[in-house]
Amino acid sequence: MEVSICAAALLDICAIILILASYIEKRSGAKVWGRLSNDMELVEGNHIYSLECDEILIGRHASADIRIQDMSVSRYHAMLNVTDGKWMITDIGSKSGVLVNGEPVRHVRLYEGDVISLGNRHLIFRKRRSDK
Amino acid sequence: MSGVLSYLLSCIFVTVVHGSMLLNIYTNGKYDSVNDIITLGAAVILLDAVYFIAMPFFKQRTYAVDFMLLLILNMSMIFQSCFGGVHFDVKHFITIIAALVSCRIGCAVCRNHRWIQTKKKFIWAGIGVLLVVILLFTGSRSMWIDLGFMSIQPSEFIKPLLVLACATSIAEQQNRHKVMGFNVVYDNLIIFGITAVVILFQWWCRDLGSIPTFAAIYASCFFMRICYPKAKFSKKTLIIAGSVVAVAAIIAIILAPAYVKARLFADIWSNPDEDGYQQTKALISIAEGGWFGKGPGKGFLHEVFAYESDIVFATISEEWGLLYALMTVLMLVLIVAMPLVNPPRSYYHGTMCAGVCAAFTMQMALNIFGSCNMIPFTGVTLPFISAGGSSMVTSGLMIGMIVAAQSPVFVSPSKKKDKHKQQKRRAV
Repeated sequence: MEVSICAAALLDICAIILILASYIEKRSGAKVWGRLSNDMELVEGNHIYSLECDEILIGRHASADIRIQDMSVSRYHAMLNVTDGKWMITDIGSKSGVLVNGEPVRHVRLYEGDVISLGNRHLIFRKRRSDK
Repeated sequence: MSGVLSYLLSCIFVTVVHGSMLLNIYTNGKYDSVNDIITLGAAVILLDAVYFIAMPFFKQRTYAVDFMLLLILNMSMIFQSCFGGVHFDVKHFITIIAALVSCRIGCAVCRNHRWIQTKKKFIWAGIGVLLVVILLFTGSRSMWIDLGFMSIQPSEFIKPLLVLACATSIAEQQNRHKVMGFNVVYDNLIIFGITAVVILFQWWCRDLGSIPTFAAIYASCFFMRICYPKAKFSKKTLIIAGSVVAVAAIIAIILAPAYVKARLFADIWSNPDEDGYQQTKALISIAEGGWFGKGPGKGFLHEVFAYESDIVFATISEEWGLLYALMTVLMLVLIVAMPLVNPPRSYYHGTMCAGVCAAFTMQMALNIFGSCNMIPFTGVTLPFISAGGSSMVTSGLMIGMIVAAQSPVFVSPSKKKDKHKQQKRRAV
């Protein structure tokens, strides 16, 4: 009886250890993602939007990953994708279009310092800066 | 440093859990010779050690799912080797190794969504081939192909392929086409058609227990499609879809064969020696096992048909106790819940995790609640715990998908080709 209780208790402890290990790995995973995605972010004034995953939807809709509440921005305006550490922006049928450095685009690669215009709003694509 | 420490701690605790189970067998179990326990223990600890050494060679962001998989698989090995007296179950050991290998294959194939999305027609073709195999080789009253030395259940292999088919079609939501005044996404129609055909085949094979699993995979992917940007599923569409499913379910119950209706509304205690044989025996054994069990190998349920697969939860409860059986199930829940800790980084990986989670949850619910008479008894396996090669390999493949979603790759499929071309040019 005592051994079976101990075995059950050890299984419980092991489950907790594995969950804690996965949380520790999550932090190192964020660093790996930073390398994969070239550690980029979008900035608009004081707002900083971190690019934490592939397929980031920019739009006015509540389900958008980067939500911009401006009537000049479509509900589903543009999509950001990352491949080989390169970010691409795609116009997904917006009314006012997507402009990169003033040029209207449908699907184009983004470079550091590019200014993305969605309606009346302008976002800067740049390297992530440290909190300091 | 903390990563290495967590890795070492995970290795130690997984081994300690298996060691404590072996100690429990030594003190409380039924065995003819201590050599049986030593053989079993050596196999389990050796497999642990080999996988711990091999794991770092697979470049991944996280290994938590791998540790959980190894923990569950070797627990399953110990459970299966103790039913009715301690012995080394060689067949189950081979299927466990097959599950680990298939997990690695699943991970390698599913990590890069850009690559696999270019191969989705092969996935559809794979499902088609399996359906033809079912049509030609299993017959309308069976789901097994007997090869003499082993039996294969081809419908099991459709589960990971259906999850992959759903995941690879998620990115097509914006490619809409006008057909007869309706906005149509071709891939959605294809996935719906595939699921409908698969379910019809399961009905034809009398493998009704698998139908809820396929339906759960499709439902989870349907909900993921609603979440996809610009999917534009209106409330009207959702209400119509829900109503169609409800009507189809009612018609299916009305038109179901007599034996299915009898099982749906069975009173097991009025006929405990025929229709309710397995369930009554399972419930009695769970009650007799209590919280801490009779001891490994000391149960009576191993004399009942399908004790190692369909009613395995009751067999474990009897010998190891309800507490241990519930914690084993908790480990299975944890492994499919890992995407909540490390969220997927693309809709493809998210859909894949949702599909795997839905399939595992449905199978666990059908097996555990079925053997406890809370729902009709279906004969679905408990992933990784039940004996059976087909189930073990497909479950391994599906956990490989979760591992892939935890350590995704975002590389263009043409990158390797480009490198090859550049090398050729340089050579010229």
